[in-house]
Amino acid sequence: MAREKIYQEEEFPSPFLQLWQIFRQTPVAMIGFGCSIFLIVLAIFSPILTPHSAIESNLDMLLLPPSWDDSGNISFLLGTDELGRDMLSRLMSGASLTFGLSFVVVVISLIIGVLIGSLSALTTGIKASFLNHFLDVILSIPSLLLAIIIVAILGPGLSNTLWAIVMVLIPQFVHITRNAVKEEFVKDYVLASRLDGASSLRILRYSVFPNIIEKIISQATLAQSAAILDIAALGFLGLGAPIPLPEWGAMLKSGIDLFYIAPWAVYLPGLAILFSVVATNLVGEGIRHSLKLHKES
Amino acid sequence: MNLLDIRNLSIELLTGSEPILAVDRVSLTMKEGEVRGLVGESGSGKSLLAQAIIGVLDDKWKVHADRFHWRGQDLLRLTPEERKKVITKDVAMIFQEPMACLDPTTTIGDQLEEAIDEQLLSGNFWQRRKQRKKSIIQLLHKVGIKKHIECINSYPHQLTEALCQRIMIAIALAKKPLLLIADEPTAAMESTNQGQIFRLLASLNQLKNMSILLISHDLENITHWTNTITVMYSGQFVEAGTTNQIFNQPYHPYTKALIDCSPKANIHLPTKSRLMTLPGSIPILQHLPIGCRLGPRCPRAQQECVQAPKAINHHGHQVSCHFSLKSSK
Amino acid sequence: MTTLLEVYDLSKSYKLKGYWYNRKVNNALEPLSFILEAHKTLAIVGEVGSGKSTLAKLLVGAEKPSTGKIKLNGQTLEAGNFKQRCQHIRMIFQDSGTTLNPSLTIKKLLDEPLKLNTELNEQERIHLIRNTLQKVGLLADHMNFYPHMFSGGQKQRISLARAIILQPQVIILDEALASLDPSLRSQMINLLLDLQQQMGLAFILISHNLGIVKHFSDDMMVLSGGKVVEYGKTHELIKKPKHKYTQKLLMAQNFQLLSK
Repeated sequence: MAREKIYQEEEFPSPFLQLWQIFRQTPVAMIGFGCSIFLIVLAIFSPILTPHSAIESNLDMLLLPPSWDDSGNISFLLGTDELGRDMLSRLMSGASLTFGLSFVVVVISLIIGVLIGSLSALTTGIKASFLNHFLDVILSIPSLLLAIIIVAILGPGLSNTLWAIVMVLIPQFVHITRNAVKEEFVKDYVLASRLDGASSLRILRYSVFPNIIEKIISQATLAQSAAILDIAALGFLGLGAPIPLPEWGAMLKSGIDLFYIAPWAVYLPGLAILFSVVATNLVGEGIRHSLKLHKES
Repeated sequence: MNLLDIRNLSIELLTGSEPILAVDRVSLTMKEGEVRGLVGESGSGKSLLAQAIIGVLDDKWKVHADRFHWRGQDLLRLTPEERKKVITKDVAMIFQEPMACLDPTTTIGDQLEEAIDEQLLSGNFWQRRKQRKKSIIQLLHKVGIKKHIECINSYPHQLTEALCQRIMIAIALAKKPLLLIADEPTAAMESTNQGQIFRLLASLNQLKNMSILLISHDLENITHWTNTITVMYSGQFVEAGTTNQIFNQPYHPYTKALIDCSPKANIHLPTKSRLMTLPGSIPILQHLPIGCRLGPRCPRAQQECVQAPKAINHHGHQVSCHFSLKSSK
Repeated sequence: MTTLLEVYDLSKSYKLKGYWYNRKVNNALEPLSFILEAHKTLAIVGEVGSGKSTLAKLLVGAEKPSTGKIKLNGQTLEAGNFKQRCQHIRMIFQDSGTTLNPSLTIKKLLDEPLKLNTELNEQERIHLIRNTLQKVGLLADHMNFYPHMFSGGQKQRISLARAIILQPQVIILDEALASLDPSLRSQMINLLLDLQQQMGLAFILISHNLGIVKHFSDDMMVLSGGKVVEYGKTHELIKKPKHKYTQKLLMAQNFQLLSK
């Protein structure tokens, strides 16, 4: 009986590795994951990778169509916009703005939300209710409207947009964390830890968090796709990034007036937004799918 | 005539590399009006066997047998759909945690009404509704529930486990089955309620002549309620015979070890002395031993045990062992 | 035999929430007392809702008693002071699926009580973990495995290892043997008996299986609805049960205790 391996080695992976293996077997999730990695690389390294500058205008090359068109130029691969700036470089730098900023926004709201949620789960009674629900009033206002209000108060600019979207995303993390932590607390191993004399902080760190991290991450991907759309929408309304910055929503805005002459100035940033949202959603779906399969097995 | 006649049934699990034989050539026969116990610890494949009989295993399991007869009709020649039709007409099953088996969002009355067979109701369609209600109340009385109005209007979570198990039995009885398969019906219950459920099953067996296949992991518990017992270990057939034969004269070392674990055998042991056990633990599916799967743990194992033993029949008491306790007597 | 554990008038009642006036009180456990000595086992028998899990939680310190006190070796134990207790009283839970943290290796799992309660350095801790695993019948290599790789019986052994690693004097078994197969149950019982001999442990066995209770315990206490129905030596209670409830329990499992 011929076998490839002489010793039947069995690998015993940790729960994270098991999730990763299930994730790897879903081809759609891996495509989304690859696209997200691509976008992250673009976001970090765009200043080095862009062929031309994203901000400086080239006044003799206004409104060039993309290179596959007859009147296009190969050195401006995707054409130029109305001020002669290269579309490709703008799109790549825009990745760091739209996608990268959404990532930062999600991380900040995750940290704050998880902190508040854990505090709320550790306490009981009125304190817990207060912590759990005081940010719920933010949930009742549509995110875009809230962002407009905040920008109207604080003035336009990228950092104000950031704070607006962070505020909107925090309540979701608070709820998810609180529910997950409460669910974990009734399990026997947390009681066993407590009986060993562990402090609440220690229980949170070692017993509870490793088991709820997957739920938080799947919520984070949902929040990220919402954040990308919000940042782009704010940019489109002119409330986000200031004019020369190549944020995708702002590019859409400046391209709309020229839609009939230069359609590429509109559809290229639109495609970029679509691509990043789909990639994030695929990764999120993949994580939730692997969580479900892992629980079943 | 035998109700159910299964010979050398095997169930394979189709995994990536090689198929694993989860149930290895088990034979089972049931007569009319017989209560048979199917005993095995976890991993013995008894639930798999029951599910294979009913026909609810999904595609990753492959079932094949030498003989699979139901009331004389050979089921292996039929397609899986036809087989299911024949079996579900006459065979019903109840499961382990009854509260989890009932739909938590509908009342008991609605669930019982779903189980009533259309063809058993006579009369015109406007009378059907009343008849259905009447037959539900009859079913509940059959399983010993007197307060039927409260029961019909409540949800599963408002009732106790024992009551839910009775309702499961009532749903199973709605089709007037000839064979009831009870897959560890009392595992989740306290001892007083266990007695109630077993008494109910015994009365149903006597009154309606319904055969019962009682699956359990506790040999001691079911010896009072069964006529015959089949013992399985790790997917293999170990021993079968009447309850008396199995309990008082076990031929297979594993059966003897199971009986030694039961409290009755230990009455005579002084308190706090060591119990007699088999060393080791039940093999997992990935590492099944070759041949007789009890080999690594058996105190009487020798070289021949690398070959799986065949079942030998001693006056209706079948054993599958190379060194059974009979041969040494 | 030295008296290890003394319990006087221990009781617990819960105030039902949601009523601002006329607060209803739920007496989960009426006052009870008992004494436990080393090398002995006390069995607590009762159906669901009889108060045995409440009693277990009170003894191990997870809840504060409404009245009464618990003395261990003459010292009164305070509720909530886990560090004082956990060296002496440990508990094994019923459902082995949720007693072990699925994302920690066994080594980290057993390390935790050591890190929190002893002052051993890393080498000594690993040595102690190795010895404990061998005592309960597992291999030292199992240190690096995750809980999901073990079977139910092995998980209970790991829980037992976690209980004995601090060398306690009393171990509470909260229906720990109920979910095991009969042959594994016998193995566990043998292991517990050996440990009781070696380490001088006292066990408090909470169970509703009278067969195990009869074999394993010296004294027996029957609870029903939070009240102590009977308390005495096991073999006397089983031969001559005085209270109706005990008689009913014995009748239900009667077949297992009398010869056929």
